[in-house]
Amino acid sequence: MIKLVDLHKSFNNLKVLDGINLEINKGEIIVIIGRSGGGKSVLLKHIIGLIRPDAGHVFIDDIDITRLKEKDIYKIRRRFGMLFQDAALFDSMTVGQNIAFPLAEHTDLSKREIAEIVAGKLADVGLSGIEDKYPSELSGGMKKRVGLARAIALDPEIILFDEPTTGLDPIMTAAIDELILGIQRRLNLTCVVISHDIQSTFKIANKIAMLYEGKITETGDPESFRNSENPIVQGFLQGIPEDKIISS
Amino acid sequence: MRRFLFTIGHKTLSAINQMGDMTIMLISAFSWAFIPPMRIRNIFKQMEFIGVKSIFIVILTGLFTGGVLALQSYYAFRKFGGESLLGATVALSMTRELGPVLTALMVTGRAGSAIAAELGTMRVTEQIDALAVMAINPVKYLVVPRIIAGILVVPILTVIDDFVGIVGGYIVGVWLLKINPGIFMAKMIEMVELSDIFNGLFKSVCFGLLLTLIGCYKGYHTRGGAEGVGRATTEAVVVSSVSILVGDYILTSLLF
Ligand SMILES: Nc1ncnc2c1ncn2[C@@H]1O[C@H](COP(=O)(O)OP(=O)(O)O)[C@@H](O)[C@H]1O
Ligand SMILES: [Mg+2]
Repeated sequence: MIKLVDLHKSFNNLKVLDGINLEINKGEIIVIIGRSGGGKSVLLKHIIGLIRPDAGHVFIDDIDITRLKEKDIYKIRRRFGMLFQDAALFDSMTVGQNIAFPLAEHTDLSKREIAEIVAGKLADVGLSGIEDKYPSELSGGMKKRVGLARAIALDPEIILFDEPTTGLDPIMTAAIDELILGIQRRLNLTCVVISHDIQSTFKIANKIAMLYEGKITETGDPESFRNSENPIVQGFLQGIPEDKIISS
Repeated sequence: MRRFLFTIGHKTLSAINQMGDMTIMLISAFSWAFIPPMRIRNIFKQMEFIGVKSIFIVILTGLFTGGVLALQSYYAFRKFGGESLLGATVALSMTRELGPVLTALMVTGRAGSAIAAELGTMRVTEQIDALAVMAINPVKYLVVPRIIAGILVVPILTVIDDFVGIVGGYIVGVWLLKINPGIFMAKMIEMVELSDIFNGLFKSVCFGLLLTLIGCYKGYHTRGGAEGVGRATTEAVVVSSVSILVGDYILTSLLF
């Protein structure tokens, strides 16, 4: 369903992606792991066309979005939802208006119908009745859940999660993991999750890919990942600093 | 020395680069401006933000500018007995130069900086990316209403500033310096032409475009967290102010 082919991207001489190849199938949860600042967010933004690569291709169902014009990319994006690292809620709008926003922009639904959907999506993420609060009044975990409600407002096929559990306490982390699993099963979504949280990763992933030095060094199911002989993978899983892996 | 030249070259290139990027943003905003939906409500919201909230500060600066202009001119004119020209001098200076320029500078300080800060915050918290992900063009949604509001509101504020400036000149000239009110007004009406006022307003349209475009550009391309937002805000004010003053010289030499 999603296929990345030999993706390259640099920012002012800083090589961030250096030949990414990755295939993501329909209905699976793939977790991409890697160190902070390693280019995970940049990789995710390529999938949805927010960043254009210097070279390489991004195929969404055989359409190469790197070749599309801005307007045509917008059509493809309607099939996506994205949860940003800090939720990226519009802070000039209430929670209800945030979730209603994509519906009001892209559908002809009446105000009443939209309000019903908003209430339903909030219930989906376990936050019924907070429509009139502003994002600044919410905790980090609540913001992420509202961000998720907004991401699923238009019933997308694919959801991208940028570090959904970073910065949350263990209980909220577990709650978000459950939420991702629940929503994925119920709506049969394809999920691309970025994480450096190893526990969450093994809990939700069908497939794991590790990003290292701008390349995918390893992909596989969680079991094969745990047993991987790749020192970089083992180093990351066990939390060994990088310089020690290289020297050993 | 080589390092020095290198720095100069680098700065120049980066300035030219930014001008190019800004032109691209302007063209993109222009082409999106005519594609529905028009988002009239957004435009009104921005007009209120840029305009209504700047009125007080514009009145204040206008009043004192006109006043000090009258005071200064009076001491100069008295030397050769030209006090009767005071009204005309104040009115001409206000409508042709000071009204448009000072209004634009005040709006830059108040609204241009706020635009850069708001868009900058939206950029670093990924709200701008979120718009794009929801298939809403951020230039159309955020930049277009602000530029249109700037083009519409800054001239209106300039008219207010011109008027209040003349009132300030009148207060100082007639009430404090005891110039004959009839002469003050008669000379003013005789010497100020409609074209002075219109050229001044044309300037203010250009400044309104300039300061909102620069504010949007600096905010839109913010990088580096809260610190980056602060930097973008400062840069927006500095670049806008300099552009307004340089632009004023260019426009004056072309128009008058
Ligand atoms: N728009 C951009 N312009 C310049 N550099 C960028 C941009 N976006 C990301 N980077 C740089 O790319 C690198 C990878 O960033 P990112 O993908 O956010 O890392 P992470 O894996 O933590 O998500 C960082 O060094 C970052 O500074
Ligand atoms: Mg990131």
